[in-house]
Amino acid sequence: MKRGNLCSPASGEALPFILPVILFMLLLVALPVIGTFINSLFRDVPFLEKRFVGFGNFARLFKDPGFRESLLFTALFLLISVSLEMVLGTLFALTMNEKSRLTTLLRVAVLLPWVIPVAVGARIWQLIYNYDYGLLNSIIVLFGGTPVNWLGSPGLALFSVILADVWKTTPFVALIVLTGLKAIPEEVYEQARIDGTNLFNRFFLITFPILRPVFTVALLFRTIDALRVFDVIYVLTGGGPGGSTTSISLFAYRYFLLGDFGLGSASSVVLFLIALSLSVLYLRAARFKEAIS
Amino acid sequence: MSEEKTKKILISASSVFILLFSLVPLLWMLAVSFSGNIDFLRSGRYLITLSNYHDIVRLRNLHFTDYMRNSMIIATLTSLIVVAIGLFAAYAVTRMNFPRKELFVMGVLAVSMFPQISIVGYLFKLMSSIGLINTYPALIIPYVAWTTPVVLWLLTSYLTGIPRELDEAALVDGASRGKALLRVIFPVAAPGVFSAILIAFILSYNEFMFALMLTNDFRARTIPVGIALFQGLHGEIPWGYVMAGAALASLPVILIALFFQRYITEGLTRGAVKG
Repeated sequence: MKRGNLCSPASGEALPFILPVILFMLLLVALPVIGTFINSLFRDVPFLEKRFVGFGNFARLFKDPGFRESLLFTALFLLISVSLEMVLGTLFALTMNEKSRLTTLLRVAVLLPWVIPVAVGARIWQLIYNYDYGLLNSIIVLFGGTPVNWLGSPGLALFSVILADVWKTTPFVALIVLTGLKAIPEEVYEQARIDGTNLFNRFFLITFPILRPVFTVALLFRTIDALRVFDVIYVLTGGGPGGSTTSISLFAYRYFLLGDFGLGSASSVVLFLIALSLSVLYLRAARFKEAIS
Repeated sequence: MSEEKTKKILISASSVFILLFSLVPLLWMLAVSFSGNIDFLRSGRYLITLSNYHDIVRLRNLHFTDYMRNSMIIATLTSLIVVAIGLFAAYAVTRMNFPRKELFVMGVLAVSMFPQISIVGYLFKLMSSIGLINTYPALIIPYVAWTTPVVLWLLTSYLTGIPRELDEAALVDGASRGKALLRVIFPVAAPGVFSAILIAFILSYNEFMFALMLTNDFRARTIPVGIALFQGLHGEIPWGYVMAGAALASLPVILIALFFQRYITEGLTRGAVKG
């Protein structure tokens, strides 16, 4: 799509500078995505001849209760975890924006959950939720309660997965919102202070509207990330109990693991299209380009 | 007056909450990793020991050190390659005119929104057909592609802040574009380049799905997958080992966070919002 232009003399000078990036993007992103779209139209399983089936894979998917369950789980996970992360992240940012003796400590502490691998974080939470020795149950027992099977029932497993994800990714939201806060000049608040506007009104009437573009960016990144959630679930619940925490990514991964590249690709295509339409919606709503430049 | 007081109390309470929320899981990991008895909270006895650490490093068939080595090499090479190609592209984006520039930038940026699963299946077939499964290149090549958007974005934002007069002066003196970039811009952009390298390192060190799909044993498997799949011989999970492994696996990135907090925060937020 870019070839014709890249050969024109005007771009000759820039071409060597951007060519490596273009090659990586075409060969390792565009090609695989197109390949996945094509594969989704084929029956592609071990020991059988590859055969064109049109939209047959998609028809099978939408009749599969397991796939519908994974759509529902992903939607629930996305809505709850992203809302919690936005609220908590903003709270973190507002706190970290105040000068205090703890500022540096807070900034480092908040960064730690974000820098460690998701899989490692999930392993830690797996042990926190452990029925026999877990931190949560130990505390419950200490106070005379009965142990809870945190990963054992669908509702609790959903809650547990979300909590682990909130722990891991709230720092990201906090740091982005904090950058936005730092950019607000102090004078903006002066008049409000003179007028005697209280703490909460100052936030909702002044800070929030100014930060809207920043919130949109954080929301976009978090939504896209939550939509494709995989690692934390793979480690924490493996999608269980009974498929109740199977995300779309995990659902597709299972087909790839079985060697069924047709259905795996079809599930991936559905996720891809959902991600694409959500991004377009956000970008439209926020006029993203203005927010970032 | 009273509002100031309310605010102070709220800030302190919130600070304590943030510290507990962020650190308790990590302290729990450390507590289990240094204990000889996992039931220490129930039994009230804590047997302190280094044997978990000792064992996972010494027992070769656990392959912990293999996973660590693989991860360090793969993440280091990935971050150097991606920042090298990203720097040239960012230079072109900020300093040169070429057709469809906006399409180029937005196209690369759009890649960061793609679900990984939508390329991993095809990538698996591709890597299998050229015999790269379970090798370093099988991960380094996709990782470079995968980290390109954030690196390009970060470096573009950084280079925009460097006055164009700098390299224009060099060009007038007869330097080529490449020389202007390497001799004049690179030294000024070094902090930005450094934070791009750190972010790319963290992202590729932490990556999970590609590593899970494109490797199958200790020869190329990375530490996140190693920790995730770690199991005892009889199916039980040796939690002491797992937590000691988790602590050691976190060490490189935690050290980066401690020493280069400013660069990470800067890079992370610049990658998302122009600061």
